[in-house]
Amino acid sequence: MILSAAGIGLDRDGRALLSDVSLGLERGRLVGLVGPNGAGKTTLLRVLAGLLPPRRGEVALDGVPLARLPREARARRIAALFQGAGVGWPLRVREIVALGRLPHRRAFSGLSPADAAAIARAMAATGVTALAERGEPTLSSGERMRVLLARALAVEAEWLLADEPITALDPAHQLDAMTLLRATARKGTGIVAVLHDLTLAARFCDRIVVMEAGRIVADGPPDRALTDARLAATFGVSVCRGRAADGTAYLLPWDRATTEDETDAASLYRTSPRPF
Amino acid sequence: MKTMLRRALALTVLTVCLPAPARAAGAGPERVVSMNLCSDELVLRLADRTQVAAVTYFARDPRGSTVAAEAAGLPVTRGLSEEIVALRPGLVIAGAFTTRVTVDLLKRTGFPLLELGVPADLDGVRAQIRQVAAALGQGERGEAMVAALDARLGRIQPSEKPLRALVMRPNAFTVAPGSLGDALIRAAGLVNISAEIGRDRFGQVPLEAAAFAGADLIVLDEDEPGRPSLADSLLQHPVLAAFRRQGRIVSIPNRLWTCPGPQVAEVVARLAEAARRMEGRP
Amino acid sequence: MNAPLPRDRASARRLRLPALGRATLALGLASLVLTLASVAAGYASFDVIAAAGDLVAGRESLPALVLSELRIPRALLGGLVGFSLGLTGAAMQGFLRNPLADPGILGISSAAALGAVIVFYGGFAASLSLALPLGGIAGAALAALLLIGLAARGSGTLGLILAGVGLSSLAGALTALALNLSPNPYAALEIVFWLMGSLADRSMDHVLLCLPLMALGWALMLSTSAALDALALGEDTAASLGFNLVSVRMRLIAGAALAVGSGVAVSGAIGFVGLVVPHLVRPLVGARPGASLLPSGFAGAVLVLAADLGVRLLATRPELKLGVVTALVGAPFLIVLLLRNRGRA
Repeated sequence: MILSAAGIGLDRDGRALLSDVSLGLERGRLVGLVGPNGAGKTTLLRVLAGLLPPRRGEVALDGVPLARLPREARARRIAALFQGAGVGWPLRVREIVALGRLPHRRAFSGLSPADAAAIARAMAATGVTALAERGEPTLSSGERMRVLLARALAVEAEWLLADEPITALDPAHQLDAMTLLRATARKGTGIVAVLHDLTLAARFCDRIVVMEAGRIVADGPPDRALTDARLAATFGVSVCRGRAADGTAYLLPWDRATTEDETDAASLYRTSPRPF
Repeated sequence: MKTMLRRALALTVLTVCLPAPARAAGAGPERVVSMNLCSDELVLRLADRTQVAAVTYFARDPRGSTVAAEAAGLPVTRGLSEEIVALRPGLVIAGAFTTRVTVDLLKRTGFPLLELGVPADLDGVRAQIRQVAAALGQGERGEAMVAALDARLGRIQPSEKPLRALVMRPNAFTVAPGSLGDALIRAAGLVNISAEIGRDRFGQVPLEAAAFAGADLIVLDEDEPGRPSLADSLLQHPVLAAFRRQGRIVSIPNRLWTCPGPQVAEVVARLAEAARRMEGRP
Repeated sequence: MNAPLPRDRASARRLRLPALGRATLALGLASLVLTLASVAAGYASFDVIAAAGDLVAGRESLPALVLSELRIPRALLGGLVGFSLGLTGAAMQGFLRNPLADPGILGISSAAALGAVIVFYGGFAASLSLALPLGGIAGAALAALLLIGLAARGSGTLGLILAGVGLSSLAGALTALALNLSPNPYAALEIVFWLMGSLADRSMDHVLLCLPLMALGWALMLSTSAALDALALGEDTAASLGFNLVSVRMRLIAGAALAVGSGVAVSGAIGFVGLVVPHLVRPLVGARPGASLLPSGFAGAVLVLAADLGVRLLATRPELKLGVVTALVGAPFLIVLLLRNRGRA
């Protein structure tokens, strides 16, 4: 049960988006994909989902190249949640979640009892059951995010690839969503989530993959992938570390890192005589 | 600014006109320019060829014009005032439907201008032939043309029974009462029933109404084939095809109807002939 | 929390699916009734029942001929063209995720008209009866390809509408150019009226010519129904749900071109039906793009049949053009939509 990428390379207009990315993913684990803006996280996610054929290398699901997997079979096995797409029409929440069952349905047939059950499970898990009859335009952005997550969960695929699934959520719902993702992974789904919140990533993920400029620069358990040196080099931040009341270690991005090779605008900004 | 422009234009026109060629004494006007297909037909039949400076480009098209052969080799215009002025005409003949702006401009420039009306009956046709002939200084030819027209009309035996005729022109425009077409139908001894069904100004008749109008003869104002037109595709409609199979269709080309002239006798002749054929049937 | 869910769901489904079915059925019945009314209405009054009797018995009579070659073709074409326009409008709006998409506004109809005009006045129509609809289809397909290409490059609502305006003007200009080059001096006059859309004096030949092509186009567009639902969540998500977007795009282009192109070739351009109809249908069947396809088709048929009845019953002669009626209804509708959409455009 392995989703693996080997030697993935992709460029557009002469600019490398991904270079030599190799990655082996196992089911049952929550993997956080982190990196600064433009590092290639979303591109890698699309390649892993089979939506973007790589120029070099190949993605394989249990040893079968994705390119050779029938589209429908792939859709049943790999679910994906993308950021920013929104919902184009004022659909009701139940209808949106039901779209997750499309890969399981024959053409022109209605929802089967199994579909209905999967939809109910996904809505209950994300806490949107009460919203079932609400129209999409009436949702807050946090509610919308949870509904879209429910849609992705309703596929009940072996794999879930999620692009920034917690970005629009308030702190309580961020915690809920991360707890849900981890619990879903514990039940056997392989989850890759693009995350910007390093604190939550370090706390909830089993494994962290750090990307920078189209390459994987660190990969491993949070404490080994997110070292101070790595955070300074890749993100340009220094962190506070500590232990929560329950003894769990946490990290908190705290300041711009001041490494020696940093000669950028950030330092100029700090010394600027004119207040902004 | 506008006045200045107008003055400048008038001056230009004047300078262009000054060295106009002198007329031969006693003869009709030289450098005649016709601005409309109907006047083309009369001018080309009545004037000396050397009198004609230009006709319209419609005159050269054998599908629409009865004088295509005569027009060959003569200069043509699109009827734009610029072209007309440049020809320094001794006489301009325009139709009632020639662009008003152009005609007004020509009036102001002072070129001799003859505007033709739209005759509504055969007397009007005779009058218009004489009018154009007189303006061209060709009175005798005009009288000869009228005599020929009358002679041809005289040989036609009108229908004895007042058969009901309905004209369907391209785009389903029919011949409204009080028009020349209506007069030609009456001259052939027929009854024009467009009045019964076409109460409106444009005389457009739906095919369905035409089918039930109880016409003995349906007159199709058909073009010669070879020129694609939507109107002709209507004339191919199965309902009209059924009438055609019953021999109740007579087709008369557009160019014979279009203008007042000696050719209108041909329309009357064909209508009367078709009516006699119908009378022969049970 | 979990326990009452399944029953809740089931009852909602019982309510929702029949609602869609009921709306489709009602609109289908309404189109049928209006088709019959259209057969019964006309300029000449005659016994339609007796004429139908003659027709069935194979007796050749004038009423039977008028019934079979004027009334019935006109009614059928009204339904077929309306269905095509409504269905295409709903499919385009669903695919472009844009409530302002419409074959008329986007220039597909004018491009179809251009194709038909080139074929007709070029003289090809005389040699091959299929040439006219094929010309229309080619024009419509080119326009649809261009628009979907623009949409794929991320043009928003406004960009697409502007492209449609440009395409319409270009097609109009090229139509005028083609007419100037035509050997028929009256071509321009004829086409000005034809472009306003009319179903007057069509025959069964027209029906037989466009029906198979339209039906193929409908089938292609209806086959994208589930993909259109998925596209509500964006292209990436739709692709992740197993839809081949290249195939969906091609089916929609081909379907829209077949349906609109052959429709325009026989009836001229009838605007705004594809724009208005999906908006009227959505409150009845919900916002799911796939669910609005079939009801939009029927609603389009209802609208065009009603408009065509209107132009015959109104005492204006010559008959008011169909496109004029639909524009009178549709243009204010478009303006209201644009105003309401201002914030989101």
